[in-house]
Amino acid sequence: MEEQHILHGDAELMNGLSALCAAPGVKLGDASKPEPAQVAAEHHSVDSFGNAYHWYRLVEPGALVPAAQLLKEKGARLCMISPYNVRHMGEMQPEVCYHFELGGVVYNLTAVLDPKRPAVPSITPVFANADWHEREMMELFKISVEQHPNPRRLFLDEKLDAGILNQAVPLSVMMNGACTTDLWERILAGKGDKA
Amino acid sequence: MSAQTFSMPLGPVHVALEEPVYFHLDVDGETIRHVSLTSGHVHRGMEAMATQRNLIQNTTLTERVCSLCSNSHSFTYSMAVENVLGIEIPVRARYLRVLAEEIKRVASHLFNTAIQAHVIGFKSLFMHVMEVREMMQDVKETVYGNRMNLASNCIGGVKCDVSPELLTYIRQQVEKMRPAVAEIRDIYATNSMVLGRTKGIGLLPHDDAVRLGVVGPVARGSGIAHDVRKDSPYAAYMDMDFNVPVYDGCCIHSRTMVRLDEVMESFGIIEQCCTRMPDGPVTAPMRQIHVAEACARSEAPRGEVFYYIRTNGTDMPERLKWRVPSYMNWEALGVMMRDCAVADVALITNSIDPCVSCTER
Repeated sequence: MEEQHILHGDAELMNGLSALCAAPGVKLGDASKPEPAQVAAEHHSVDSFGNAYHWYRLVEPGALVPAAQLLKEKGARLCMISPYNVRHMGEMQPEVCYHFELGGVVYNLTAVLDPKRPAVPSITPVFANADWHEREMMELFKISVEQHPNPRRLFLDEKLDAGILNQAVPLSVMMNGACTTDLWERILAGKGDKA
Repeated sequence: MSAQTFSMPLGPVHVALEEPVYFHLDVDGETIRHVSLTSGHVHRGMEAMATQRNLIQNTTLTERVCSLCSNSHSFTYSMAVENVLGIEIPVRARYLRVLAEEIKRVASHLFNTAIQAHVIGFKSLFMHVMEVREMMQDVKETVYGNRMNLASNCIGGVKCDVSPELLTYIRQQVEKMRPAVAEIRDIYATNSMVLGRTKGIGLLPHDDAVRLGVVGPVARGSGIAHDVRKDSPYAAYMDMDFNVPVYDGCCIHSRTMVRLDEVMESFGIIEQCCTRMPDGPVTAPMRQIHVAEACARSEAPRGEVFYYIRTNGTDMPERLKWRVPSYMNWEALGVMMRDCAVADVALITNSIDPCVSCTER
């Protein structure tokens, strides 16, 4: 029999966040790809010390603002924002995971972005400490943060283009060019951009 | 002198800490009206480097994010990997991790407290605090072989066990340090020169602390009783008896007292680890890597450290992201320095125990 865990968390908050996700059972991501390209809209995990983590994949990036407002009303704190690309090289699928904490429980909200025009609404008006995270995301991942109250560069010099390192081929990809397809995918994607 | 407002650049090497960050201070006479900062001078792209190394190599990389809280990084990173792989570490390893973490906390807090005395110009107090701290540096060197990077944590537990003889030595050192730190605490709590430069200065009101999401002693000095060790106990903290010191003075003095009280609490935790630690293995085996994501957090000396990892079935993480406590605390300087004197800038900056190396990664 599988071990049973008590799920800790604010029930009202969890219901509210669930309502902003895709319907239960619906898988987000590219339906033409096999698992794990598709991911469950909501799941819950517990670490070996019994600390709870709740994971929600928002139905669209615009759901971030109502989700953030709900978390703010409950007294949650923004811990971190993690932008990343699920698939690298030729096919970029940017996602952003927002991590909040309330009563020792972590709530993670993932927004799946449009690869052609990756953008999220700013939550800095709701959580002031999102400011730096969002500015870093803009300059390092070239994700547009709409309605950000202070969209200045955080770390990089103003003269550098956002996401400039994405245009180059990293050494690790070059070195593995003989045994993986990454290098060619990268080159072909670059040609596609110019076309 | 005219009271006309002008901008005064300060930095890049700040007077309180030898790390590069620029401050732009709008000054009205000797009073600061507005503060902004420019950073990025030591951005090393460590998160990108992490995706080009395997999970084991990243233990070494993350320990080098910062020097004073180096152990907290490899600790939290290891927990994130253990969460994503579903590894449960042995009980003895949990205690050994807490032991190393608290040893580092004592050394880190005493360093910050010493620097405060240095900035005030109280050189004898600075030398004395550093001398007492040296006893904990000796512990690190004797037990772990290094004075800063302990290299204690590994995925699944800790690299080396600590022998009963060394545990006895640690307890003896703590016994020597306890009265010395109590005396130091009294000096910081009562000395008129220290109080004159720290009490009621660098105010971060409770509401601003909540709004800015500050963490660690900066939060606890503004009345926010937030400590990951209590809120979401990890490793062996659920078995430890300790208090979370909270002050509501919202000033430099409150933050200092939080740190010094925490040193005393850490002594208690170290002693509990030394006496209660059960025998047994210190590592758990590695498990298969699947496509998954997980996060982990811990209470470093400066506050909450947060790690997020995504694995893609290979031994290299698809994404490793972390947020250090200083990242959340810098913006509070804008509130703390508003309407303060230029002469207090270095002390206020030191009171958030900032780390540029951590912030920029």
